[in-house]
Amino acid sequence: MHAQSRFPNKLLPYILLSPSIVVIAVFFIIPTVKSIYQSFFRVSPFGDRRIFVGFDNFVRLFNSPAYVQSLLRTLIFATAVVLIGLSFCMIVAVLLNQRIRGMSVFRTFFIWTYAISPAIAGTIWALMFNPATGPVVYLVKLLSGKSINWMNDGRLALAIVIVAAVWKMLGYNVIFYLAGLQAIPTELLEAASIDGANGIKRFFRVTFPLLSPTTFFLLIMNMLYAFFEVFGLIDIMTKGGPGNATEVLVYKLYKDGFISIDIGFASAQSVVLFVFVTVLTILQFRYTQQKVFYG
Amino acid sequence: MKKWLALLFLAALTLLVFPKTTITLWHAMSGQNLKALEDIVKAFNETHPDIEVVPVFTGSYAETLTKAIAAYRNNTHPHIVQVYEVGLQTMLDSGAIVPVYELAEPDFDWGDVVVPILNYYSVDGKLYSMPFNSSTAMLYYNKDIFQKAGLDPNKPPTTFDEVFEYGKKIVQSGAAPGGIAFGWPAWVFEQMHALHAQFYANNENGRKAKATEVYFNREFGVKVFSEWIKWAQNGVLVYGGREYNANNAFIAGQVAMLIQSTSSLGSIEAKANFKVGTTFLPRIPGYPRGNSVIGGATLWVMKGKPKEDYKAVWEFLKFVARLDVSQKWHKSTGYFPTSNSALKGLLDEGWFSEHPNYLTAFLQILSGINRPESQGVRLGNFVAIRDVVDSAFEKALQYKGPDIEKTAKAILDEAAKQCNQILKDYVSLYGK
Repeated sequence: MHAQSRFPNKLLPYILLSPSIVVIAVFFIIPTVKSIYQSFFRVSPFGDRRIFVGFDNFVRLFNSPAYVQSLLRTLIFATAVVLIGLSFCMIVAVLLNQRIRGMSVFRTFFIWTYAISPAIAGTIWALMFNPATGPVVYLVKLLSGKSINWMNDGRLALAIVIVAAVWKMLGYNVIFYLAGLQAIPTELLEAASIDGANGIKRFFRVTFPLLSPTTFFLLIMNMLYAFFEVFGLIDIMTKGGPGNATEVLVYKLYKDGFISIDIGFASAQSVVLFVFVTVLTILQFRYTQQKVFYG
Repeated sequence: MKKWLALLFLAALTLLVFPKTTITLWHAMSGQNLKALEDIVKAFNETHPDIEVVPVFTGSYAETLTKAIAAYRNNTHPHIVQVYEVGLQTMLDSGAIVPVYELAEPDFDWGDVVVPILNYYSVDGKLYSMPFNSSTAMLYYNKDIFQKAGLDPNKPPTTFDEVFEYGKKIVQSGAAPGGIAFGWPAWVFEQMHALHAQFYANNENGRKAKATEVYFNREFGVKVFSEWIKWAQNGVLVYGGREYNANNAFIAGQVAMLIQSTSSLGSIEAKANFKVGTTFLPRIPGYPRGNSVIGGATLWVMKGKPKEDYKAVWEFLKFVARLDVSQKWHKSTGYFPTSNSALKGLLDEGWFSEHPNYLTAFLQILSGINRPESQGVRLGNFVAIRDVVDSAFEKALQYKGPDIEKTAKAILDEAAKQCNQILKDYVSLYGK
């Protein structure tokens, strides 16, 4: 136990750490501090004029119905993406963990989605649901006689974006669940069988608890995805429309900051988003980790 | 071998003697219009060995403006940037531009610029940016579908009621799945105000002093929105996206009519496999007559480049305004030629009698009445306001209930509230 060597040089660890510290500072700490600073100002588009407004940007944020609606929408969106995504992917992973001929082909198909860029994924989904020419729209019309148009149906648009977002994360989640499943010792499952547990019982009593570290990890990754990374998908598919129906917080931030060029207001939004996700993550670590079983 | 070396040497020498000035141009032209622009630049570079204009496609109009602003803050901005009419107030206040009237030679004939364009972009009688691609909105219609629906293909609708009636006929007869679609819905809404001599914002549409309040939630705006909701509820009006997506629906025969910028004429005529008709924008009877308003973009010169570059910039702008260049640009895109002499030349050579669709927009804008209401709206942070109005339009089209007018009013009131806040913020930064 005492064999672990210590660095005799006090400076060396810091030198070795410095590249990552620089990266964190440049890409994380400096922008964060700058955002916080800018959120107290109203800045002209060209940056030549600025007025100190104190907390006005924040006050306005929470008094704006558009923002509060966007916040609620984001919560609905993130909950749906995480819940549907994780439960669906777990099922897919269990199915992919069977011993069937040609399984590697199936696995590749399911993991594929993660390799597709958000822009292409967005285009594919947008094309499939194109009100005039989309194959899905055509099929729905054949089967139900109804013509669906997500360009003037906000709820449908949100639903489709949720499905697309889940689909996009499919590969990522499935890989982790597959790895998790394969790490489960077969003795445990065999023992459960001998004790008379059927397939469903085995899954809920043995597999599911043993997957909990993976689930916990994926929960956080998917939440971060639903809050931040869906930007590309939404930008390509709906641009937040129709009529703000798919305008989640991160897209609203982009629109206010980069289309309206209201840097101060957008900075205030990014600060709120940052605090929000930080709090959510801490809460999850606090309350979920107790239930996670690390074997 | 020696000969080649000598030639090479000479070539190197000329490069040394005539160092090329490189001028960057950021633009938002795509598709057919991109090719037309590249042709202009190519012709210019070939005739001006000492200047090289480098055109860069920077995305949509909004993206191009945003990128130019971001670039200016980092001092990596282009010499020339193409900014759409929406960016007018922002560019004027930016302090980041060189007005073209300062750049021009004193003997340049600004009087030759087509009047509505001159009016739109002038401040106190002076042009701040170079007119380049100006357009307006008009009504396109599919003559084949009209015929199929039992309508006279030479009698397009002239009023809102006729659009509705014809649209219903078209949808019910199965001639097309939809009646009409709009490109740039918020812009069409602005056009309707100008066309019926209604102000869109206070202080004469922001032209006397900076606008602080929008007027589009008043009686007229509510009337227009209510009509549109009614059309949508009857399947006549089909939502066609915020920019040019509606063109595809029109070209594919999914809708029979399209309100779109004249700049789409070139590509629509090239792609459509049916007879394309064009006509004036439909009106609501009972309101005073105004005029359709200029859209499109102009070329803005940005500050902060070496002094020698600006001579080259002006050379290019002068070239763009040249009679033959402007005519060719018009023919390949549908944008207005910017000068009266170019227009006359086109008329003389019989272009318009062979291509009557290219004349429609001209007749419309020249036969309207020019009054303060139809000179074009000038708003601070107009980009954001357009976005708010586009969203309002999308919300309105989703409404399925019976309280059409009340809903239209509520949606527009909410949008106006947001827009007034945007205007207030803008004034707080730049003063009245």
